[in-house]
Amino acid sequence: MAMETLKVDADLKAINEIQAVGGDTVKKCYQCATCSTVCPLAPDEAPFPRKQMILAQWGFKERLLSDPSIWLCHQCGDCTKYCPRNARPGDVLASLRLLATKELLPFKFMHTFYNHLWGLPILILISLLFILPIMFLTFGGVPNFSDPNSFPYGEIYYKLGFLELPARVLMVDLVFLPLAAVVVIFMANAVNKMWNNYLTYYNIPQAYRYGFKTILSNYFIPAIEEILAHSRFEKCGANSWRANPHKMLLYAFIILFIVTGTVFVLADIFHMHTPWNPFTHPVKWLANVGGILLLYGVIGLMAGRNRAELENSLKTSYSDSFLLWLILIVGITGFLTEFARVLKFYYNYVSIVYLAHLVSVFLLFLAIPYSKFSHLVFRTTAVIFDLYYKDILKKQ
Amino acid sequence: MGSSTILVVGGGISGITAAIEAAEMEVPVVLVEKEATLGGRVAQLRYYFPKLCPPTCGLEINYKRIKANPNLTVFTMTDVVEIKGDPGAYKVTLRKRPRYVNENCVACGECEKVCEGERVSDFDFGLGKTKAIYLPSPMAFPLRYVIDKDALAPGDAERIQSACQYRAVDLNMQEEVFEIECGAIIWATGWQLYDASKLDNLGYGRYTNVITNMQMERMASPWGPTGGNIYRPSDQSIPQRVAFVQCAGSRDENHLSYCSYICCLASLKHSLYIAEKMPESESLIFYIDIRTPGRYEKFLRRAQSEAKINFIKGKVAKIEEDPETKDLIVIAEDTLTGKRVRERVNMVVLAMGMQPSIYGTAVPGLPVDENGFVIEGEGIFPVGCAKKPLDVMTSNETATGAVIKALQIIKRV
Repeated sequence: MAMETLKVDADLKAINEIQAVGGDTVKKCYQCATCSTVCPLAPDEAPFPRKQMILAQWGFKERLLSDPSIWLCHQCGDCTKYCPRNARPGDVLASLRLLATKELLPFKFMHTFYNHLWGLPILILISLLFILPIMFLTFGGVPNFSDPNSFPYGEIYYKLGFLELPARVLMVDLVFLPLAAVVVIFMANAVNKMWNNYLTYYNIPQAYRYGFKTILSNYFIPAIEEILAHSRFEKCGANSWRANPHKMLLYAFIILFIVTGTVFVLADIFHMHTPWNPFTHPVKWLANVGGILLLYGVIGLMAGRNRAELENSLKTSYSDSFLLWLILIVGITGFLTEFARVLKFYYNYVSIVYLAHLVSVFLLFLAIPYSKFSHLVFRTTAVIFDLYYKDILKKQ
Repeated sequence: MGSSTILVVGGGISGITAAIEAAEMEVPVVLVEKEATLGGRVAQLRYYFPKLCPPTCGLEINYKRIKANPNLTVFTMTDVVEIKGDPGAYKVTLRKRPRYVNENCVACGECEKVCEGERVSDFDFGLGKTKAIYLPSPMAFPLRYVIDKDALAPGDAERIQSACQYRAVDLNMQEEVFEIECGAIIWATGWQLYDASKLDNLGYGRYTNVITNMQMERMASPWGPTGGNIYRPSDQSIPQRVAFVQCAGSRDENHLSYCSYICCLASLKHSLYIAEKMPESESLIFYIDIRTPGRYEKFLRRAQSEAKINFIKGKVAKIEEDPETKDLIVIAEDTLTGKRVRERVNMVVLAMGMQPSIYGTAVPGLPVDENGFVIEGEGIFPVGCAKKPLDVMTSNETATGAVIKALQIIKRV
């Protein structure tokens, strides 16, 4: 790969895009390679981010999309701290990840809305456009938002075969099940593209191009173990304190995913409908542990980023703050909905809090394909590829 | 009423050149030097550019010209405290620190033999020690001892006084502050080595065998602490592999934002020292760009043909020490292969950049830029490395050029 010829044809549009989403310092790089030496995560055989910096300077979009390195970077900031030109490679790589996310998914305007402040009202509008009609449909008209007994705790029940659902649950199912399906389909398609790009770029011989099952069983499990342990992130030097909150946030999402699944089964199938008593119900205990971890993680990340910014090892772009605040709002509105039933003084407004919670969760779902939240899937894929590639290098 | 005196501040190669050339035009010249001897950085080198002459070569002839010239007054151990006035009529306050050795000294060295107190040699960049009474440079000018009073051991004062048959030791000397008048100022305070310990990823100060390029010069010098042998500090062995870290502190916005001009050439020169002393040893030069300004491209070719040099394009950003052998593992990305390399070497030389000597010490009346380089004004002319990073040859050219400007000022008034 190193000695191949490369036709240089600067892609100005791609360069502008990189500069617009946080990579504005890319042109300062003079290729000294300090970054790829100090990076605690870069492997000796394919160190990054020096090479990615020059590719970005020339706008080699296709090459960057075919490079797992941009996802193996955890934005520790060691490179940025030691960069003699203040070219901020760590921040540039974050912008390359956004660019890759945009390129891999359909409906690119959604990516634009997600990564600019002016897009925020549009996003809220889009989510309401999905949530409200379904709400009106399931609640049989416009509910009274100042009466919790109208919304969300209305008395309308639906019997669909063996399912017996209150309006609220049917509404949530009708909004989020299709949404989840769309996200899964989009991401699966993107991962497929990404993987094939990697295979081509790394020129993997046909003999080593294993099937889906082999990849999953040989490399997926070790990758997940590594991610759960955060063993890569913890190697970061310059702002290692971000690793622990990030890990806690991941655990929070896993716990809340399990809780959601459990609730779905218990409520929809076994008719054990919520709200459950937070003091006596074990699923609620778990949910609250998840919620607290989520708040701890996201606030820890915010504090960590502030500290890293003071040390000049990291810059927080709109895309970064957007996701952090979105997660924070999901957590806060979730808890406020729960507390409303105990702390009666704002009980009458619970519908608004609950609606805000639905909107923020809706946006968080869609954030997977359209914001930096995509790293949940794409970084996992890159880690799997990294393990796979190292393994076949050993065999060759 | 103006003054026709030219003040030259700094007695290194640029200041000496400027002072002599002005004095030889028969105008009064005052040359002021902070250290106890003239000679500056050039006196510390093994060889200097462009022709790789030993420092004796250029300095001795100039010292002879200084001695022969009645228009030139030299003050050593003297700093400029303040500059007042205007072009043509400056009043400059000087402070002369006590040397504790008077003009009677003939540098016989008897005092040094009986002195017990010792001090770390700054002339040798910490590689060696001198006695508390010492000759500031092997080719000191004036050729006279100096005393570091803080380093005297109990009883030293009596011992050295009785050993000196010339009554040259005077421990009662006091600091003197005085004012001179001059019409123009040539500022030639030169450079200091950037503080290598600020490069926390390169291990200077933590790893014994990481040295600076100026320490390399002192080791290579026949009058240096090792008598001209290049040893590695941990065990005095001959290094088989030496890594040179280019741009150590230079071209780096966290340290010196500019290119220091000479460090690439210095490392090429050091590879020639190694080739001369230890033909079996190998030099590894890690670089971003090899910068050989102007005609120095030829010097690169010479080094390539005469020395065993392995050039690796990639800046060293991490150094680890093997605690057993004190060898060093130098880590960089070889950007031509795109792979990270880890080279085990016996010694590392940091090609440190130059910082203006006066950086951080504001002299009232002297305009400097954010890096500490002196900005040229109507009557104040920076030369040599006080102006910008330069080699000896170009420093001297700026010195000569500044003399004509200074003459224009004093002839005008």
